[in-house]
Amino acid sequence: MSERAEERLPGVQYSRWSGIRKHTMLCCVSLVMLYPLLWMVSSSMKPENEIFTSASLFPSHFDLSAYKRGWFGLDVSFGRFFLNSLIVSVLSVIGNVMSCSLAAFAFARLRFPGRHLWFSLMLGTLMLPYHVVLIPQYILFLNLDWIDTFLPLVVPKFLACDAFFIFLMVQFFRGIPRELDEAARIDGCSAWRIYWKIMLPLSTPVLATAAIFSFIFTWDDFFAPLIYLGDPTHYTSQVALRSFIDSTNQSDWGGLFAMSSLAVIPVFVFFVFFQRLLIEGIATTGMKR
Amino acid sequence: MASLTLNKIVKRFGSLQVISDVDLSVEKGEFVVFVGPSGCGKSTLLRMIAGLEAISGGELRIGSEVMNDVAPAQRGIAMVFQSYALYPHMSVRKNMAFALETAGLPKPEVEARVNKAAAILQIQNLLDRKPKQLSGGQRQRVAIGRAIVRDPQIFLFDEPLSNLDAELRVQMRVEIAKLHRELGATMIYVTHDQVEAMTMADKIVVLRLGKVEQIGAPLDLYNNPANQFVAGFIGSPKMNFLDATLLSSDETGSVVSLAGQSLRIPRGLAAVHEGRVQLGIRPEHAMLSSGDIALGQMEIVLVEHLGGNTLLYGKLSDGQTLTVQVEDQARLGMGDTVQIFANAARCHLFTGDGRAFAAV
Repeated sequence: MSERAEERLPGVQYSRWSGIRKHTMLCCVSLVMLYPLLWMVSSSMKPENEIFTSASLFPSHFDLSAYKRGWFGLDVSFGRFFLNSLIVSVLSVIGNVMSCSLAAFAFARLRFPGRHLWFSLMLGTLMLPYHVVLIPQYILFLNLDWIDTFLPLVVPKFLACDAFFIFLMVQFFRGIPRELDEAARIDGCSAWRIYWKIMLPLSTPVLATAAIFSFIFTWDDFFAPLIYLGDPTHYTSQVALRSFIDSTNQSDWGGLFAMSSLAVIPVFVFFVFFQRLLIEGIATTGMKR
Repeated sequence: MASLTLNKIVKRFGSLQVISDVDLSVEKGEFVVFVGPSGCGKSTLLRMIAGLEAISGGELRIGSEVMNDVAPAQRGIAMVFQSYALYPHMSVRKNMAFALETAGLPKPEVEARVNKAAAILQIQNLLDRKPKQLSGGQRQRVAIGRAIVRDPQIFLFDEPLSNLDAELRVQMRVEIAKLHRELGATMIYVTHDQVEAMTMADKIVVLRLGKVEQIGAPLDLYNNPANQFVAGFIGSPKMNFLDATLLSSDETGSVVSLAGQSLRIPRGLAAVHEGRVQLGIRPEHAMLSSGDIALGQMEIVLVEHLGGNTLLYGKLSDGQTLTVQVEDQARLGMGDTVQIFANAARCHLFTGDGRAFAAV
């Protein structure tokens, strides 16, 4: 029996036509989802006058001059903006993964007074819209003299301020058998060593998930950098992209789409690299449940 | 190797008391088995000894030291968990070495101890594998190896064989008993399987609802159970209990009436007792011929052929049910009627509240 046939469930009728129908429909839906992205990439290679006059994904001829224009078109090279984005995003990933996993470990495994109350409060922050805390946060960072630095974007990530990731990790840690902690305690581990030697190595899927989301959220974030960064040399790529659109003079749409296309690449690469860790799954095969 | 003393040990979860005034003394090198039905508190008691559960009251001593508030790692114990609790991301070698590395032992000593334990358990060829690459029995060996390397004063086993299949369970049972002989270590073993308890223990502690029902050597518990619960729990198939009426009782024994017959049983009770009693007969002690007391006719309702012996389930003339185990392959079937006998010396008597009459 072929491997393909073995995968089939007994008693279920498989029709060739139903397969074709299903895949055609999936392709169509995928195309609808992908069209804006493909249009953006295609527009970055079109001559400027073709961008809004042709809905076709294929340019009449390939024109890569928008990339050169976009890269060098602003007062500061776009390389600088990518670097800024990279610094903020990587630090945010490191900060979120470290601090949120520590907080999650405490909520999931340690006993301390008011644990449930603190956890509820932490979850409560998920319900608050960002715009509600924006002004108090701004005043706080202003008083700390952190405006126009990366600190407001990065430091909170090291202080476990992202309740979503903490909640995600708490749920994951709760799924790791408690006997492992107990075995480690008998083996002489402190809470820190249990976290570092047992919990973290077993939590790669959730850490990878947090890393991916954290990277994407930070890389794509427009609002916070817009609020806190004033000096164009500090701009992240998302804020810098806005500079291509000028309300008074002519906008450089080609340059915008070219740089937008480049801005997608790091997120794509990051996702491809870390999603392998996601699918490995937790290896709890040392436990008999 | 160390002794263990529990003195009026109590465990409470909020207002719920799950362990009540447990007193126990375990000698150096002794193999003690905690046995009892699910929820009797045997695992909780073991975890209190391990330091994984706080002790609500009483005193726990390992050797001469009070250990109530000492961290698990400082108690000189090692524990084998029901789920094995091997660290999935570490190799077998790393799993076994982990406690020693945590304690900061020099690398050559860690290596030597791991190799020695691996040799004892014959798992040298598995040292570089991950737990997921091992079978259930191999994982259990590694879990035991992880305990051995620590050279603990007391080994604690929490139902270590319950996840293994029947054949492997028997094999591992023999190996743990052998290991106990070789290491001469003090071991405390929790199980709900009375066969494991009977075959492995120097001393059995029978627990029910957080209280110790009886402590004793396996055969003591089998021959002289302190009460009806222990009598029913120890021994397989379970002891038969028949309603009877106590006619008289003195230092030479008791006379009971069962299904209209008077039976003299060589068991007595210090306190005067009258009225309803339970006559206990183990299935293997009920016979189809040649006993010194006759229990009357039994109509067979079910026959189980086990090959080496046969189990007969039936009803006596007064409607009470009885299980009889006969040796070899009995050619009997449902609906057949047989005469049941027993030796009075092997019968037990229990008061209405379950206390056993003492043998005279």
